[in-house]
Amino acid sequence: MQTKDIDENIAWAKINADVLRSMENPRMGYWIAVVCCLAMVSCAVVAEIYQYQTGLGPANLTWSQMWGLYIATFVFWIGMSHSGTLLSAILHIIHADWRKPIYRFAEAMTTFSLMTAGLFPIIHLGRVWNMYWVLPYVSDRGIWPNFRSPLSWDAFAITTYLTSSAMFLFIGMIPDLAICRDNARGWRQKLYTVLSLGWQGDDRQWRNFRRIYLLMACFLIPLAVSVHSIVSADFAMSIMPGWHVTTFPPYFVAGALYSGCAAIITLFIILRYFFRFEEYMTIPILEKTCKLTFAIAMVWTYLNLIEFAATWYGHDMVAKELLYWKFTGPYAPYFWMMLFLGSVMPFTLAVEKLRRHLPTMFVVSLFLNLGMWLERWMIVGPTLSQNYEPFAWSIVWPSMVQWAIVFGSFGWFGLLFLVFVKVFPSVSMYEVKEMVFHRRTAHRPDLAVSLHRRAEDPQPGSTPSTKGV
Amino acid sequence: MSGNDINRRDFLKYMGLGGVSAAALSGCDMPTTVTLEEGKETVVSYLAPEEYVIPGIGVWYASTCQQCPSACGVHGRVREGRLLKVEGNPDSPINGVGLCQMGQASVQTHYNPDRITQPMVRQGGDLVPVSWDEVWKLMQEKASNVAPGRSAWFTGTVSGHQSVLLAELKTAWGGDHFTYEAINNAVGEAVNKEVLGDAMPSYHIAKAKTVLSFGADFLGTWLSPVHFSQEYAEFRSGDRGVLIQVEPKMSMTGMNADLWVAARPGTEGVLALGIANVLLTKHQLDGASLSVAQRDVIAQYSAEKVTEITGVAGETVSRIAAYLKERSPSVVLSGASAHGHVNGYQNAMAIMMLNVLLGNIGKTIEASNSVMFDELRARTGSSRALLDFTKAVGDGQYDVVFFQGANPVYSAPNHLALSEKLSKVPFKVVFSMFMDETTMVADVVLPLSSSYEEWATHVAPYQPKGGAISMSQPVMKQLYPETRAFGDLLLGMLKHRGVEGYADFDDYYAYLRGVLKSLPASLKDGKSDDVFWADTLQRGFIKASASGSALTAVVGDITQVSQKPATDYPMHLVPSIHQNMWDGRNANLPWLQEAPDQVSKVFWDSWAELHPKTADKLGVKEGDFIRVESAQGAVEVQVYIFKGVHPDVVAIPMGQGHEAYGRYAKGVGVNVLKMLSPAIEEKSGEIAAYATQVRISKTGKHAKLARLGGSEYQMGRKLVATVAADVFRRTEGGSDVA
Amino acid sequence: MSLKNVLENWSNYRKGAEEGGHHTYEHMWGMAIDLNKCTGCNACSVACYAENNLATVGKDRMMKHQGMHWLRMERYWDEPDLGGDDNEFQVRGGSVLPMMCQQCNSATCEPVCPVAATYHTPDGLNAQVYNRCIGSRYCSNNCPYRLRYFNFYSYYEESWPAPLHMQLNPDLSVRDKGVMEKCTFCVQRIRTAKDTAQREERVVKDGDVITACAQTCPTQAIIFGDLLDKTSKVSKVWESQQVVLGKAKQSKENKELRGYRVLEGLNTDPKVLYLDRVREA
Repeated sequence: MQTKDIDENIAWAKINADVLRSMENPRMGYWIAVVCCLAMVSCAVVAEIYQYQTGLGPANLTWSQMWGLYIATFVFWIGMSHSGTLLSAILHIIHADWRKPIYRFAEAMTTFSLMTAGLFPIIHLGRVWNMYWVLPYVSDRGIWPNFRSPLSWDAFAITTYLTSSAMFLFIGMIPDLAICRDNARGWRQKLYTVLSLGWQGDDRQWRNFRRIYLLMACFLIPLAVSVHSIVSADFAMSIMPGWHVTTFPPYFVAGALYSGCAAIITLFIILRYFFRFEEYMTIPILEKTCKLTFAIAMVWTYLNLIEFAATWYGHDMVAKELLYWKFTGPYAPYFWMMLFLGSVMPFTLAVEKLRRHLPTMFVVSLFLNLGMWLERWMIVGPTLSQNYEPFAWSIVWPSMVQWAIVFGSFGWFGLLFLVFVKVFPSVSMYEVKEMVFHRRTAHRPDLAVSLHRRAEDPQPGSTPSTKGV
Repeated sequence: MSGNDINRRDFLKYMGLGGVSAAALSGCDMPTTVTLEEGKETVVSYLAPEEYVIPGIGVWYASTCQQCPSACGVHGRVREGRLLKVEGNPDSPINGVGLCQMGQASVQTHYNPDRITQPMVRQGGDLVPVSWDEVWKLMQEKASNVAPGRSAWFTGTVSGHQSVLLAELKTAWGGDHFTYEAINNAVGEAVNKEVLGDAMPSYHIAKAKTVLSFGADFLGTWLSPVHFSQEYAEFRSGDRGVLIQVEPKMSMTGMNADLWVAARPGTEGVLALGIANVLLTKHQLDGASLSVAQRDVIAQYSAEKVTEITGVAGETVSRIAAYLKERSPSVVLSGASAHGHVNGYQNAMAIMMLNVLLGNIGKTIEASNSVMFDELRARTGSSRALLDFTKAVGDGQYDVVFFQGANPVYSAPNHLALSEKLSKVPFKVVFSMFMDETTMVADVVLPLSSSYEEWATHVAPYQPKGGAISMSQPVMKQLYPETRAFGDLLLGMLKHRGVEGYADFDDYYAYLRGVLKSLPASLKDGKSDDVFWADTLQRGFIKASASGSALTAVVGDITQVSQKPATDYPMHLVPSIHQNMWDGRNANLPWLQEAPDQVSKVFWDSWAELHPKTADKLGVKEGDFIRVESAQGAVEVQVYIFKGVHPDVVAIPMGQGHEAYGRYAKGVGVNVLKMLSPAIEEKSGEIAAYATQVRISKTGKHAKLARLGGSEYQMGRKLVATVAADVFRRTEGGSDVA
Repeated sequence: MSLKNVLENWSNYRKGAEEGGHHTYEHMWGMAIDLNKCTGCNACSVACYAENNLATVGKDRMMKHQGMHWLRMERYWDEPDLGGDDNEFQVRGGSVLPMMCQQCNSATCEPVCPVAATYHTPDGLNAQVYNRCIGSRYCSNNCPYRLRYFNFYSYYEESWPAPLHMQLNPDLSVRDKGVMEKCTFCVQRIRTAKDTAQREERVVKDGDVITACAQTCPTQAIIFGDLLDKTSKVSKVWESQQVVLGKAKQSKENKELRGYRVLEGLNTDPKVLYLDRVREA
């Protein structure tokens, strides 16, 4: 049984070769995946064109249920984006080095899920063509957006988070891009030359790089927490039962990390399998991710219970009624499914045997995310179906247009990810090397010295350069 | 616009001729109307408004609403030559400033996209548009030399000078005139006539402290609903009156009742006698106004017997009697659901007896108000007219029939087989605004103007505050040049017929002006003819009241004969009347189709109301389709379940299920009138519309019922709270806060 | 565009936001609806369709709750378990509740609009600026009364086939898809009355403005007017019912008075006062 996070004896050249190999010309399977994703996206595009032309009516949105899957899925994707930050920033700061082989794709996932999430508020607008009005551009007419509205906070939060996480992803990739540059030809070489920003791996660059990376990490952590808190404010700032909940910000953040971690497990297994990354994305690392997910799942469950209890003991009759209705009404199957998937299913992660079994984990991780998606729907849907005004109660299930766009968003995310893994290294080469190096030096300091010598590093003891590898 | 085919007129138009040329020409001291090429064209500036047209300013014209026979006075708001909205005429003696939803929707009758715009003649099976000349020629050919008694008019309620002209035509032709209303008060009128000596007395709900209504939906559909709504508001203020409604299916009035009672259909008379019995025995009411024989009849109806027959609990009967005794004066009303039975007359008589017993005559029921000119009074419709007409048509009695304001092909029950019988009439002329079912079978279709395009006088059948002649004037220009006012057509027919005394009138307008000139000076307040005319148009009506003779109070036979329910068809069918579709005439108005029914909140459809018990027995839930079957027909319709209907009753609203009548009406819901049984009210000969027995069965089909509203209960929220009347009287008694 | 301009606007905006909008109201349009008189006849609702160019949407869309009834006549049955009866029949009839935008003074819809398309006017109205609306629909989601309606389609394309379109009221616009709308207290009538008053060099007085619903009501159950004008009919009703604007919980001397505001406890401070339904026993 594999117990080590990574093989300490792995050669650096092999690391480079393995990762660069994953970026080589794609095989048939890749193209099939691309076509599938494109088909999904085109479903959404067709639906969106139809919706754009006719209005939001075909989406089955109604005067009693003005929001639907669009907002639920928006929250879902925003949530998923939190894992990248968790892995790269938080674990970076606390020096959990097992994150190193897997943080790159997690960060990419952050950026892409934000790019997906950002589409939803736009798709859901009645007058899409005026969406820029939520931005505080300076106008002579003196018209500003409403800074009191959580939706305009959303606009700031998401754009800030998207910019920051994209920068964080890019900065963290610079040393790797230099490796790519040195190993590529043709258009790739040109691309990487531009993108690697003249990285030579010298001491000054490394020092600046470390500094900016740490700085970005520190910046991103509060940002990530605030982004999902702000998204939760869309609901928590309202007056509606089931939304007007004080615990929503931590609840949303926990849910976000939860779904993000689950998505990492999914992508971990996919990448490991298709790109033969068994030596980097090892079972012990998966196990650690699983344990982390389990911990977050329990936090999420706890926050759920708090919400129920607070409602139960509270004096808000309408909220109580809604909670009861969630358990028993037409949404009950979905609500129970969410609770099962979100709170019971993660116990599989606690079982070592299951945790190490990749197919099981693959399925479980998908279910966890389904649970988290349901959670978002169970926040948006029931409150709008049943609230203060009994005459307005209604249950309207989403139409094909909504489903198509939601479905397509997964294709869109997949497409971005597929492009990413072929253009950029999905495993951080330099950080894996670091990890290998650190592990090795931890056990056998003598080996470290010899390693340095072999690499002919002019300054023994410092981080190895990529040059000449 | 391609190449060269632009002509000068277009060019000028595109150049904005009005503004540009007028501005340019005014500089040369030219008048705004100039001749460009002499004798060829007149250029009128867009800037010169027509009379009364002030851009941006609405002008109000008085007119009369024609959506139901109540003839409420309205003001039509006209801006830039378009009628935009109607409001109640605050000076109107009928409705005041209020207007019901049917009145509000009357603009949609006027602007309806399905109006007939041209006269049509049946040629080779199809109706084809023709010119008016051809129509008149054809009418001359086919209708002018009809033998006396071989022609007939079949109309809805008519009044005013249209009624006068119709009478003239009838005389000239020697034909018959049937006035038909599917929704009528004919049985009530007959009883009123017998007991009070007056068919249409004044009811003073505002003066009453208790209103006991046996199916008279006076807030929604009875006689003059807007007027009674006003009275109701007064009735409910201060020392608030008690409203008790007895009916098989909750109407709008029932929805507002303090006590809603569901008696077994057809037993309303027994309930009335039971109440009388309690009043006489328990409350020691003086029964001197009744004969001994009558008191003996009443004495037979002990509490147990009444409960057995009517299904109304003894304590409810006592409670009603107590209200009537304690909160006097009262008024007891009867309406369609009490009248529409084989024993409808008996029911109405027993109900009227309560008024006599309680001494309401002369207090809350007073002498009628009517217009002083007999010939102008409304000829109120009845459903007997339909029966008589069908019979006559079936006997091949008529060569020519003229239809106006009635749609008998839609509303005649199947068993009358009216459509087939009508084919025996060789020449059918229909005056109509819409292609309704009757118009579809016409040989000649004469397109009518809307009530907002024509000159007319109307006299409301129920005149609450003194008799008045209501005026209709064109509030805007005709939408379609080929439509004609009904009055103009009547006048035209008289002229074609060569009836004396009408040749001098160019049109109906001239006729009306002429007639109004001849009104007695006392009605004109000493004004000159022109001033009086202008004044009348501005006010919308002429006060010409004649008070009726004092009411008598002679109660007729109140013996009740019990009905045997048909065993094959255990349920009673209630073709309920609603203040939206009315008898079907408003089904083509999208606002009313979209406005949820006041009680069930169903829109754009028909529905069947069932009591929860009945629904449980049948195993259906809301939205399930049931088959409602009488011996004469069947419909499949969705179920709405609530506790406002008698368990033995299935109620389906009338007015939907049109096979024609334009895009908004066609194919919506079911026509319950088709399946009515041949039962006839024995004494008056009216159709006993509530006497149909049906059986219901489950079809297994289900769809969401088109009903507005999620929860039917407030779920503990204080949205509408209810306070007890005692509290209300304590805090607001005697003062009207709102 | 000058920087000064921008900064001034900004400080105005800040001021408005901090001080809760307008401090000095010119008018405070309000209503009082007597449920003792209201019969639920729906005339108000149809009058509203006629006055405000409301689209008819057809059966399917109505069923989906995509209708545009700014004034919604709600009907409730008495609950057996909540003080009502558990009889075989609805012996006390039904309860009706005409619900139009309650024009809350602490409107929940206003702060959440990202583009400030809904705001409070100096008339105390909760205004909706169609041109500014981008259709995020947050306002509607945050309305506890669910009285905001959205143009889910370009309804005008089908709702007014010629010549029905000639009925459209030129005093206000016909809305296109993607825009939120709701009862405006017939703001076009208020505007006209103000213009007339100005032309006649006087102030707007009670009775100058009447909303379409109040005007047509057969029982005159709806009273509309200016709550700042202490002599107006509507003010008097509020006063007589001891209901005060700006309070979530009314301290009535006489607890038996009927006046209340729907969901008052949410502190939305609605300007529509309802008077309880009354029934014998």
